[in-house]
Amino acid sequence: MPYKILVLTFVYLISSGFVYADDKAADLLKKVDELYRAHSAVATMEMKVVTPNWQRTMTLQSWSRGLEDTFIRILSPKKDRGVATLKLDKEMWNYFPKINKVIKVPPSMMMGSWMGSDFTNDDLVREVSLVEEYHVSLYEGNSIYTLVLMPKNDTVTVWGKIEIDVVKNSLMPIEQRYFDEKQQLVRSMVFDKVKPFSGRLIPSRMTMIPHNKQGNSTTVEYINMTFDETLPSHIFSLRHLQKRFN
Amino acid sequence: MLILKLALRNVLRNRRRSLLTIISMGGGYFLLSVMAAMTEGSYSNMIDLFTRDHTGHVQVHYGNYLTRPSLYKTINQSDLIISNLMEKEQVIAAAPRIYGPSLAYGKSKSFPANVIGIHPDYESRTTLLSAKLQQGVFIKEGMNADGYYPAMIGVTLSKNLNVTLGDELILISQGIDGSIANDIFQISGIVGTETSHERLNVYLSLSAMSQFLSMGNQVHEIAIRLQHQDQAIDFVNKMDKFKLHRSLTYEPWQVVESAFFNGMKADKTGNYVSMGIIIFIVAIGVLNAILMSTLERTHEFGILKAIGTRPMGIFRLILLESSLLALASCFIGACFSLPVNYWMAAEGIPMPTPIDMGGVVFETMLGEVSVFSMGMPTLVVLFSTLLVSVVPAMRASQISPTEAMRN
Repeated sequence: MPYKILVLTFVYLISSGFVYADDKAADLLKKVDELYRAHSAVATMEMKVVTPNWQRTMTLQSWSRGLEDTFIRILSPKKDRGVATLKLDKEMWNYFPKINKVIKVPPSMMMGSWMGSDFTNDDLVREVSLVEEYHVSLYEGNSIYTLVLMPKNDTVTVWGKIEIDVVKNSLMPIEQRYFDEKQQLVRSMVFDKVKPFSGRLIPSRMTMIPHNKQGNSTTVEYINMTFDETLPSHIFSLRHLQKRFN
Repeated sequence: MLILKLALRNVLRNRRRSLLTIISMGGGYFLLSVMAAMTEGSYSNMIDLFTRDHTGHVQVHYGNYLTRPSLYKTINQSDLIISNLMEKEQVIAAAPRIYGPSLAYGKSKSFPANVIGIHPDYESRTTLLSAKLQQGVFIKEGMNADGYYPAMIGVTLSKNLNVTLGDELILISQGIDGSIANDIFQISGIVGTETSHERLNVYLSLSAMSQFLSMGNQVHEIAIRLQHQDQAIDFVNKMDKFKLHRSLTYEPWQVVESAFFNGMKADKTGNYVSMGIIIFIVAIGVLNAILMSTLERTHEFGILKAIGTRPMGIFRLILLESSLLALASCFIGACFSLPVNYWMAAEGIPMPTPIDMGGVVFETMLGEVSVFSMGMPTLVVLFSTLLVSVVPAMRASQISPTEAMRN
């Protein structure tokens, strides 16, 4: 009898932390990957940046087409109204209406913060397909799955490992953790407030917490979002970036 | 009393010798005094010019801003602190400043610029910035007729950016609320020279700067001008004792500009060496005069001893004589050096080639009348006289009467 219990416990222990077949992991990752993705999306969101020295809330509107192109415009506060960012494939520009200047973000500034937030310019530009760029393995917990992503040999990234916690029954991500090449936790993104937008259920609030900067965090909350509208292609042009907007 | 009478009579007996001694010692006094006045004067003039260039005599910062500057280390309620400071007797003026390193765009080029928000009125009263205006007008608070905030730009930066008076100047920086500060200004003035401190600076009015960086009633630095630069350390100690604002640090110019101060201290030490040589020469002259006068009077001392004068009496007599001579030469020396020093303090010696210290021209070498320039030579002459008189006085007091009278 004790022998049986021991075997059962052993089997249970193994299965609880069991590495699933890659197929299942890849499927799940694909689902997470495509959660916010569509042929096109138009969204209004609120970004709240908190640091020990200051905090700031911005309202943003964004248009995106596939993975490649994004156009973001700041609606409020008044001082920054009209400041816009255009991302076309791997290039990025900022536009400042007050001085009527377009400034290209140089490659050296890609890891710099976007408009003072905890998101880097790179986060906006490099919306890579996780399935294509990472090896994935799946660990099953009591109520969550944990996806562990290791970069493939030819993947260009600053992360040594990414972990994604997904709720088992809803398959919604709740936390994404980024590790550097020394396996140190650098930052975490927490997802919550799952809401339907255009018939899709997605977490509407994301909070980025950098672990190397005490007291800093950036929260992005979607106010509304529509998917798969046909967007005129002139939106994603430098000319549109510079267009006056009141 | 008798001994004083004796000493006086001895001094007056050989008038020519006494006069020569007095002249040589007085000359030494004169040299020392003028030299001290010149050194002190030109240093204090240089410190004055230097501190009034941009540093001020005392600076106030939040915490360790001076060593580790940060946009967020601000002095809050600066208005209140400045008006408090202005009430102090020693304070002539106080100038608030906001610093924001920025990227400046001219017509086609961009360069990094050190942008400083200043209170136009207070800054002119504290530093010599307004004297360094080369072209245009000094900035004012508020917008100009074209709806721009005016800016003053350093000569080198204006050349680099290829901009001149009336041109637009675009600045991009980081706001205190994390936003990207960006605005257009109009150049109203060009300041400094290509070697001066402000060559790569841009000056905005305080209100324009706080709006640019989204700041409230905050500044990064308050520069204080006192009545005299030597009050700085004293003032800082007094402010530290009151500790009105716990988070604020008061630092004298000696700390703020420690490189300049240490260089000057080293230079001053070199000067003391040459002063020491003069002191030595003066002392040798005194020694010579005293030694001669005692040797000449060996016979006389023998008689004094023979009629019962104690050795201590003779010793005191000789020291008293030389002290009388020293006092007289100090008086004569002071009579000559005082007017010279006064003239140098007021007029100064014009320099053949004026030194340009970063846009401020240093034309005359000024003297200074101070306790140091008058007191130091007095002490040196008196002390060295007493010191060199001890040996001849001891010799004279130890002499045996028979031997002395045989000479």
